[in-house]
Parts: sequence; structure tokens; C-alpha cells
Amino acid sequence: MKFILNTGRTIRQGKFTENKLGQGYAEETSRCYIHPLDLLELGIEEGENIMVTNVTGEVVLVALADEGLPKGMVFVPYGIHCNSVISPCTHGTGMPDYKIHEVEIAPTSEDRKTPTELLEQLGGVRYAGN
Amino acid sequence: MQEIKDMICPFCGCLCDDITLEIEAGKIVSTDNCCTIGNAKFLGKNRLKNPIKKIDGTWTDITYEEAVDTAVEMLLDADRPLLFGWSGTHGEAQCVGVHMNEILGGVIDNTTSVCHGPSILAIQEVGHPGCTLGQVKNRADLIIYWGCNPIEAHPRHMSRYTTYADGYFLDNAFRNRKVIVVDVRETETAKVADEFIRIKPGGDYAVLSSLRAILRGKSDMIPDSVAGVSKTQLMQVADMCKTCSFGALFFGVGLTMAKGKYKNVRNAIEFVDDLNRHTKFTLTPMRGHWNVYGANEVMAWMTGYPYAVDFCRGVAFYNPGETTAIDILARKECDACMIVASDPAAHFPRACVEQLRDIPLVVIDPFETMTTTIADLQIPVAVTGIDAEGTAYRMDGIPIKVKKAMDSDYPSDTEILTRIYNKMLEVKGL
Repeated sequence: MKFILNTGRTIRQGKFTENKLGQGYAEETSRCYIHPLDLLELGIEEGENIMVTNVTGEVVLVALADEGLPKGMVFVPYGIHCNSVISPCTHGTGMPDYKIHEVEIAPTSEDRKTPTELLEQLGGVRYAGN
Repeated sequence: MQEIKDMICPFCGCLCDDITLEIEAGKIVSTDNCCTIGNAKFLGKNRLKNPIKKIDGTWTDITYEEAVDTAVEMLLDADRPLLFGWSGTHGEAQCVGVHMNEILGGVIDNTTSVCHGPSILAIQEVGHPGCTLGQVKNRADLIIYWGCNPIEAHPRHMSRYTTYADGYFLDNAFRNRKVIVVDVRETETAKVADEFIRIKPGGDYAVLSSLRAILRGKSDMIPDSVAGVSKTQLMQVADMCKTCSFGALFFGVGLTMAKGKYKNVRNAIEFVDDLNRHTKFTLTPMRGHWNVYGANEVMAWMTGYPYAVDFCRGVAFYNPGETTAIDILARKECDACMIVASDPAAHFPRACVEQLRDIPLVVIDPFETMTTTIADLQIPVAVTGIDAEGTAYRMDGIPIKVKKAMDSDYPSDTEILTRIYNKMLEVKGL
């Protein structure tokens, strides 16, 4: 199913900004809020994983119901997860379309990745000294 | 136990100045008056203990002297360096960054380019009808939050300045001050509004134009529904705006990151302009980082431009969309980067993070961040507001001295950047 992806700040995401490699941030930024009727149409239960894809990339998130969203829109807190599917195109303004991206969503049996795992996929290395 | 009052919270653009900190054995053990986010910031743990350098894919502890030398070498070797971040540090450090960029002939950009950059483009076109937050608190009887969600992003904005604040010139402000929220989703802020306008994604420009048409007596031209908003509601909202005594429109990145970008903000400013023919109305961007406004001020007074300043011609050049960090990285143009007080690996599109991974990358930050993992060098510094001090600008442009609560062995951003800058001058024989 096609959706409009909207990303933004949540208070829990903000709370973990000084510890972005920790479990709290990983949990918050890998959430995808969806209208309950869209969950029904997707044939998934709240708490199940979904694959979010578009021409830019793909990412596994966990689906959570949010009646405050309009049907056809999903909301994902700011972070490395949602940026896997955000295009760097700025239309000559310097600003990517963080609030309005078309994505395809389908149920998946794949597990979510933590920010550390996503960064390691990119070749990143954690500092072990702390 | 030592108690320190009236400290400044270095998290968001509200710069709350009533924070109490309790300090025990050289550590902050509790806070008072902070929001959840500010509290977490003050109680942050696990700072890097010393500079670290990645050698053959493994992190190695090094000294500050070695770190300064390595940073200088990496940046001077580059043809097109990018200095990015700056919104999470004090103005004095930002000044050093601009000087450094001038001798490097690179690009200096702050996080404005991925938050309210489009707002600045609009303000440069049509001006900024702003005021201080104190004016809003004491006078405004109508508040509009458009494309922003202060309950989650600026948690004390409503209690300090709008919905839940007393107003010197208002009787029973809590009951009589009306709040309108405009958003594409029903946020926590929308749930406490007197009027919630739900717009279809990408419909902000059309709704603003419709409200302006109504204000100018052209309501007969408005269709029954505009971007999902009924004409009846548009008429009602236009009337609420026209008949208030003092209105304040706060807007967030819901306008700048959506379709239309700076054109949305320009239309919002012109809507406020139209309203000023009927009553008093102001507009304020909800700035995110605690000193992003300061980054704009410092860069503007030193170079003439508030962000995305390119010195490759020897003089300041500014062209957002070309000289902004996202675009430079997406074009794989820069060949070295220094990140100061920011975490682009968490907030930039993946294609830009891949470019950062592929070039020499220096990070100046107290904590291990996501960007640390793809960097080559990190230099830990003191945290402004805890063990460093300096100047910051609140979201309404008020400069505030951010005090420190304690001393530490960490250098401040200004100290470490000055050391790097002086070493650059020495190497270049300047």
C-alpha cells in the first residue's frame, strides 16, 4: 500500500538525543505510527513489523496505531531509520522533503535494526572505550 | 549538595532561564523546572573522556595536542571543506568557526539549512513581523501554532509564553486566550486547542491564500473546501484572527519541510501582514536548536549571510540549494568535513551520510554520537550551560548569557576551535 511519510520530533526522541546509540532512541525512532484502519487494510496487528520502501531505500519499522493521523499518512520520529528513505533532493532550497515522501508499506518478517546496526552496515565503527 | 538557580537550559530555542540544578561531588544530580528533554540533557552521562582517532578502522585514544594537529592536517589538505553544525554551541565558538572557514576557503553551514532555512529565505523576501516572547505572553489573546507541535518539541513554550501563562495585560489569560492549531495530523498540541484545522498534506499554501482572500473581502471566491478545510471553518478562523486584540502566529518545520517550503512561509508572513490592517499580529518561527538563531546572527553579522556561506571565491557567497550542506554532500562535492555540536548521521538523508563516511571527518562533541561511528577523529568538549559558558539567542532573537554550573578539565568549543584556528594560521604562515 502507498502512504505519505511524515517525520518529526517526539518528546521521547528528544529525551534520548544525548544517547542516540542507546536502546531508548533505537526503540523510539524505529516506530511507524499508522491510522488503525490502514493497519486493518495492511492486514497487520499493532506491534508487528513493516517494510517501508521507496526509490531511495528501505527500512524495517514497527507499526503502531494512531487515530490522530489521517488515513494514508504515516508518522515516524526523526532519526536514522526514517532517513533511510528520505531523498537528498532539496529542489534548490537546501531542505529535503522530510514531511512529505511517498513510500510503499508491506508486512515483513524481518527484524528491526538498531541505529548501531544501521551504521555498521554503512561501515561505521563504535568506540568501545567508554 | 550545592543548589544553583536561574540557569539556562541548552536544549531548544525557548532557552528556559529558570532552571535549578543540584550539584553533588562535581555532578548534576537533579534539576527543577526542566521539561523531560532538558532534564535528560542536564543529566547526560557517558561523555568521551579524551580525543579519539580512527586508525586502520579501530578507535585509538589520543591527546588534545595530537587531535588538534590531526584536525588541522585533515582540513588544510582539503580542496572543498565543509564546516557544519554550530547550532548547539555558543556564539563565541561560532565566531571562531567563521574565521576558520575564511582561511580554509570552505563552506560553513549551520543546522538552519535543515530546519528554518526556508523561513529565512521567505523573511529575506518579505520581512519578519516579529516580537519578543514577553510581548506574546503579556498581550496576545490569540495564538496560532501552524505546522508545529510544541508539546513534543518545545515542551515549556505553552506554559511559559502562551496557553498556560499569565498575561500582564490579559484578564484570566488561561480562559480568554484562544489557541488555534493547524496541522496535517492531530498532535498532542492539537488536542488542547480551541480550534483545530486539519489540512491535507501539502495544502498549507492554499489554506493561507484562502484566509488572505477572506480577509480582503473575497470570500465569494473560496470553494466549499480548501485542502480538506471547510469554507465555514476558514471563515470562522479568519474572523477570530481579525477580531482579536493581539495575535501571534508560531510556525514550525511543518511549513518549511513540506511541499512549497519557503513559499508557504512567505504566504504566512503576508497573511500576518494582511491581518495588521485589522489588528496587531506577529509571527515567530519555532527554532529548534537552542542557539540556531545565534548561528544565524553570528554568520550574518560576520559574512552578511545567515547560513550556507561559501568562501571558495575568497569572499562570502550564499546560494541555498547550492551551498547548503545537504546539496554539497549529495553532489559528493566536499572532500573533508568538520562537525561541531551536531549529529548529521542521525538527521541527514542516507546518501549524505554515505558521503560523510567517505571523506575525512572531524567531530567536536562531548558525547559519542551517531556521526562518531563514521568519523575519523572526535574531540570531546565541555557542554555549554554545564561546564562552559557563552552567548545564545532565544527563538525571538533575544541574546542570553548561558552560564556554567561548574568547572571541568574539558576545553570549551571556543577554546578547542581557537587552538585549531591558531595552528592553521601557523601552518599557513599567516
